[in-house]
Amino acid sequence: MTLAAVSAALYAAVVVYAATRKPPIAVVAIGLGAIGGLLLLTALVRRVDELLPASLAFVGIVYAIEILARGSGVDDRAPLVGVALLLCAELATWSLDERWSIKAERAVVVARATAVAALALAGLGVGALVLALAAAPIGGGLLWTVLGAAATLLVVAIAARRI
Amino acid sequence: MTRLDSPRLATYAGLAAFGLLAGLAVGRVELVALAAPFALAAAVGRVLARDPQLEATLTVDRERALEGDDVHVTVELASPTGADRVDVFLPLQEGLRADGGNPRAVALSAEAPRTLEYPLRCERWGAFTVGPVYVRVSDRLDFHSWEARLGRAQPLRVYPSVEMLRALLEPLDTQVFVGNQLSRSRGDGIEFADIREYAPGDRVRNINWHASARRGQLLVNDQHPERNTDVVLFLDTFTDVRAGSHGTLDLTVRAAASLAHLYLERKDRVGVVSFGGYVSWLLPKSGTRQLYQIVDSLLQTGVVLSFAAKGIDVLPPRSLPPKALVLALSPLLDARSAAALLDLRARGFDLVVVEVSPVPFVHPGSSELDLLSYRLWRLSREALRARYEQAGVPVVEWTEGEALNVVLEEVTAFRRYARPVRA
Repeated sequence: MTLAAVSAALYAAVVVYAATRKPPIAVVAIGLGAIGGLLLLTALVRRVDELLPASLAFVGIVYAIEILARGSGVDDRAPLVGVALLLCAELATWSLDERWSIKAERAVVVARATAVAALALAGLGVGALVLALAAAPIGGGLLWTVLGAAATLLVVAIAARRI
Repeated sequence: MTRLDSPRLATYAGLAAFGLLAGLAVGRVELVALAAPFALAAAVGRVLARDPQLEATLTVDRERALEGDDVHVTVELASPTGADRVDVFLPLQEGLRADGGNPRAVALSAEAPRTLEYPLRCERWGAFTVGPVYVRVSDRLDFHSWEARLGRAQPLRVYPSVEMLRALLEPLDTQVFVGNQLSRSRGDGIEFADIREYAPGDRVRNINWHASARRGQLLVNDQHPERNTDVVLFLDTFTDVRAGSHGTLDLTVRAAASLAHLYLERKDRVGVVSFGGYVSWLLPKSGTRQLYQIVDSLLQTGVVLSFAAKGIDVLPPRSLPPKALVLALSPLLDARSAAALLDLRARGFDLVVVEVSPVPFVHPGSSELDLLSYRLWRLSREALRARYEQAGVPVVEWTEGEALNVVLEEVTAFRRYARPVRA
């Protein structure tokens, strides 16, 4: 119950953050966020794992719309948003796992909590590194664009193989 | 072990790919930063995927127990690679209950094996198997899991609890072998029966000298010999009326075990006939071995649905020896068993029917029609009982919670005044 509540709170925090940064698109952001939130709540209450990816996609789209609507300027809190979403997904999954009422010993619970926290911290670090690298004065041009596209395609290819 | 990957890994990989492509397309680094934690999680998931090596050994502290006993099951887990999380589930058949956590999740280190204790409560008699255990090993973030059934199944026989009986039903006739039952016939024995005139061939030691001196002629004492009896426990297994964990079949088996125990202790020969959808029998024998055989056969007793018409003709003649006391335990619900019992009586068997009452297990209903049906059903049962009594068969109703002693005493009282006449 606590895990589900924290997960929902993180989700709501991201939606509110995206909606309040650019008031003109607040209605769209809140609308899409509400749909995603409803999916998340349904997943948590009715124990339907399949709805989790859709709810995460919705909040991702809300954030992307806000970024595009804002135009220039980099949002320094983007890594925090990413980590919040990752934590939201992890805690929701953990909450769904608890449905089986398996009596877990303390060491198992502590190990998973530690692992989730470590993953979130590492994710925050990677996100921050991405922003820092983007801000670094190393120039631009076609070469960097091609390198970036190649790296992206590589990651997408690995992801596609994974799926 | 069967490996299962969490669908969350694919979701993370997909979200990361989507974020990176979108970031590249619109030229916004925030989307890449948003996708980065998911990409990292997907990468960590790949790194964590290593097959575990797990072994489990299952032991039960004993193979036989009594109803209501506690049995300890131990599951020993060992893994040379260790495991972040091992979910262990011990599947239990109905009649066994684990008091501790089942299933449970434990962490397993590579150095030391873990021993899990499962105290089991044997709630019902039966022949059970404990195990194998279902285990699921998962990594720390539950990205991958491996499932398997480990450990060998262990047998566990739970015997029905035996009721203490003070007295047993005395059969009308005894058999030819020595036992503890006083025979109605006369012969060599301890119990004095009568005095009669001396006849050639009588032993001198049997002469009653006092009586002979008084009467002026030789008189000898007659004794009742001690003989054994044959008892056949006739179990009606056509139907079982249950309410929760209690039912008529449970009572039947418990009573049969108690009766067999005491009759065999008295050196009588006891046989069992399980008359139902599946007919089985044990020929009458005496001794401890027979007691174990009877109890083992009782553990297999169950209701098998069958619409086949069955009479006592299907039983081999040796399973129902002449002069045997046939003690039927029946809920008197199936017409086939009711007819078979009347048939036994017609063939001259000394028959006693203990009606294992299904009434406490039946809810009368609330509507007028339900109540009327219930009353009609009760009346039809009364009519059936009257039919048995008319045939000289004692029928006693035994309800759950009532001592079996009381029921047997009722039968004894019936037989004191109403004795079947042999044609």
